[in-house]
Amino acid sequence: MKQWKQTLSSLIHPLIALLIGFLAGAIAISVTGTPILQAYQEMWTGAFGNLYFLTSTLARSTPIILLGLGISLAFRSGYFNLGAEGQMVLGAVAAALTALYMPGSGIVKLLAAMAAGMIAGGLWSLLAAWMDAKFKVNLLISTLLLNYIASLFAGYLVTEPFKDTTGSAALAQSRMIEQGAWLPKLFAGMSLHAGFVLAVVIAILLTLLLRYTVFGYELKITGQNPLFAAYGGVNRTRVMILCMLTSGALAGLAGTVEVLGSQYRYIDGSLTAPGYAWTGLMATLLANSNPLGTTIAAVFLAALQTGAMGLERNTNVPLEISSVIQAALILFISARFTYSFLKRRKEEKNNGATV
Amino acid sequence: METILEMERITKKYGQFTANQEISFALREGEIHAIVGENGAGKTTLMRILYGMEQPTSGTIRIHGAEKRFANPAEAIDSGIGMVHQHFMLFPSRTIAENIVIGNEPRKSIWFDRKQAIAQVGALAERFRLPIAPGQKVGDCPLGTQQRVEILKVLYNGAKIIILDEPTAVLTPLEVKELLITLRGLAEQGKSIILITHKLHEVMEVADRITVLRNGRVTGQLEASQTTVEEVSRLMVGRELDGIRRETQQAGQPLLQVNRLFIRGKKGKPLLDHVSFHVRSGEIVGIAGISGNGQSELVQALTGLLPVDEGTVLLQGKEITNRSVKQIREAGLAHIPEDRYLWGTAKEASVKDNAIMGHHRLKEFQRGGILRQRKLDQLVTGWINSFAIKTSSLANKAQNLSGGNLQKVIVAREIGHATPFLLACEPTRGVDIGAMEFIHQQLMDKRNRGEAVLLVSSELSEIMTLSDRILVMFEGKVVGELNAETATEEQISLLMAGGKQP
Ligand SMILES: Nc1ncnc2c1ncn2[C@@H]1O[C@H](COP(=O)(O)OP(=O)(O)O)[C@@H](O)[C@H]1O
Ligand SMILES: [Mg+2]
Repeated sequence: MKQWKQTLSSLIHPLIALLIGFLAGAIAISVTGTPILQAYQEMWTGAFGNLYFLTSTLARSTPIILLGLGISLAFRSGYFNLGAEGQMVLGAVAAALTALYMPGSGIVKLLAAMAAGMIAGGLWSLLAAWMDAKFKVNLLISTLLLNYIASLFAGYLVTEPFKDTTGSAALAQSRMIEQGAWLPKLFAGMSLHAGFVLAVVIAILLTLLLRYTVFGYELKITGQNPLFAAYGGVNRTRVMILCMLTSGALAGLAGTVEVLGSQYRYIDGSLTAPGYAWTGLMATLLANSNPLGTTIAAVFLAALQTGAMGLERNTNVPLEISSVIQAALILFISARFTYSFLKRRKEEKNNGATV
Repeated sequence: METILEMERITKKYGQFTANQEISFALREGEIHAIVGENGAGKTTLMRILYGMEQPTSGTIRIHGAEKRFANPAEAIDSGIGMVHQHFMLFPSRTIAENIVIGNEPRKSIWFDRKQAIAQVGALAERFRLPIAPGQKVGDCPLGTQQRVEILKVLYNGAKIIILDEPTAVLTPLEVKELLITLRGLAEQGKSIILITHKLHEVMEVADRITVLRNGRVTGQLEASQTTVEEVSRLMVGRELDGIRRETQQAGQPLLQVNRLFIRGKKGKPLLDHVSFHVRSGEIVGIAGISGNGQSELVQALTGLLPVDEGTVLLQGKEITNRSVKQIREAGLAHIPEDRYLWGTAKEASVKDNAIMGHHRLKEFQRGGILRQRKLDQLVTGWINSFAIKTSSLANKAQNLSGGNLQKVIVAREIGHATPFLLACEPTRGVDIGAMEFIHQQLMDKRNRGEAVLLVSSELSEIMTLSDRILVMFEGKVVGELNAETATEEQISLLMAGGKQP
């Protein structure tokens, strides 16, 4: 009974956010003169209408899920990882180059590439964690700034030393990976690949980690009250380092599965332009850092984008409608987030005064 | 003395629940009337009714014999009633004078007359002997001063009846003393004061009459001069308090040895100045002192939360100086922290998650990093029963528990570690008498089992009842050691204030 109530009340905020998003969307749609209901119906069809649309939506959601999970994990332990984008990009480029230059059979290349992608993302995130632990450089800022370095560096790699010179066009991209090292597709002719299964499995593992393990317990407590954790003998630096490492590794994996499962090469800007990392952050915030919730939210946000494409194909409502809905969502989420952040700060201050 | 206020047969129901049941009491002009009762007894509810914040379900209020009904606080203020709230409602970025005159500002044509305001507030403070600096920003003032500002605000609005709801909860002992003197002064100048508290020593010191509430009913009305703390607490709790069972026994070997502990301060003055003492098995050593004299730093240094610059700490002969919290706990220390919300719990976490801290690492409760949930559930359920902790479930969030119940969770957890040494800081701050007695008995039982307890408390009565030996801290030093059997409250107070050991 109590459990039910708690689950229900944790759903209220996301649902209100959705309502506001769709209301904002409805206003924008009505401006174009398309009937609102028809437009949303088109959107639904575009996202889930048949196997093709459904699998495209899920394929699009794959990197978003992995990024969201990584960010959630850091959040749950009380740390901000705003560097998921850079970690993803480095993961992607590391995976691409490993798959290209690793000797051995296809499956060896695939596994090595996945490991390399996760390690690259993880180490990049670890750099920020280390600077925080060692020099008290604020994570929020360091992770954010490291994004630029990562993107520029990856861009340099594929415009200079590892540029694809086989093709005709002078694009900033690596060569194509051999087919044996690709992640398998789940359905013939559809874009959905094994990375999606991997993402869902990881979401379940994280849920189990948080609920049933010593480390998950220490991580949650550190996020809920770091002083209580320290008092109880939890090594907070260790928790931070491990969480940031894993968080970065998951972001790196997001880039990796995009490379190995759908693009088969690293193309400069192809991961940053769609704003995967920021959509992942939104999924995390919408789901209050719950791993399974983040997964669902990520699929929903991907559906918004694929649905908007369908809408644009069939009506005169432009693709940007998904941006309108997302913007309204962001506004609501950040207002709530800021509110609870300020409330917490104030409480901390009040508590501090009595010590 | 003339009766100024009568509340007659006041009943207040919240749905099925009766918070006040036919409560009657009368307030005389110029008296201090204390209303005492455990948490939840209905004191605040009664005062909210008087101040027009709640409407009674039935009953009447009379002022100077005339029946009144207050639809809101403004109407109560018009009848000369003022309330000093438990949580101050002041604007920290404005000056004291501005905070006091707000809502009723002196004006020069249409403009706020700042000079006039400062002069008026200064005169008011003078008249009632409440020292303040009218031009100072409220945010820069200590809590004791902020409270004086609240009182002055009430006086400025012309209150004849002043309600103070748990005014001493946020104050230091020295500030409490000053407040009590202020209240006496106000009463002498003809103000009638309703003082709400559950600290009986304060009541005995200052009140003329006492009304005791329990479960929403009046269980006694007494003249303060003709009763005792014991009688009042019996009326509050509804049963005889057993008192603490102390077994005489010989203290054993030193368990904790602290040698010349030193922590450098930021402003030249050391936080801890070569502190040395020991605690033997089978004894409770109390550390008395006004808070802010190095007790917090000592506790944090002993528990591994604050590094020390010089000196050593030995626990069971093993050096634990500057070790990690985990290592120190494994060496045999448990710790009830001084601030249960800041250090002792995570309030958004469940009761269970709060209770298993530290236990979650033990072999018994995990296997290869996987928590053994069933065993942990059993552990915590056992405590909930044996400590009579009121919670709806293990999954209930800690923030839904009352202060006393949450404190019991912490005490259960730390006693549950069954370590040879327990560091107990403010173990009963803000909990009601029943829970206090229970917690005291737990500490005493630990001592009686031949384990050692270091008790740090700003509550002198707590130190006096429990300790075998008493150390007094002042400005980062241990300035005196007293035998608890022979020590008097005066001796300790003097040392706490920086006086010499007689
Ligand atoms: N608005 C309310 N609705 C329901 N119950 C209330 C409300 N306000 C107070 N109570 C209940 O009334 C009882 C008395 O509360 P209160 O007057 O605050 O006690 P005290 O001030 O003596 O600690 C408590 O059990 C409390 O839970
Ligand atoms: Mg109260």
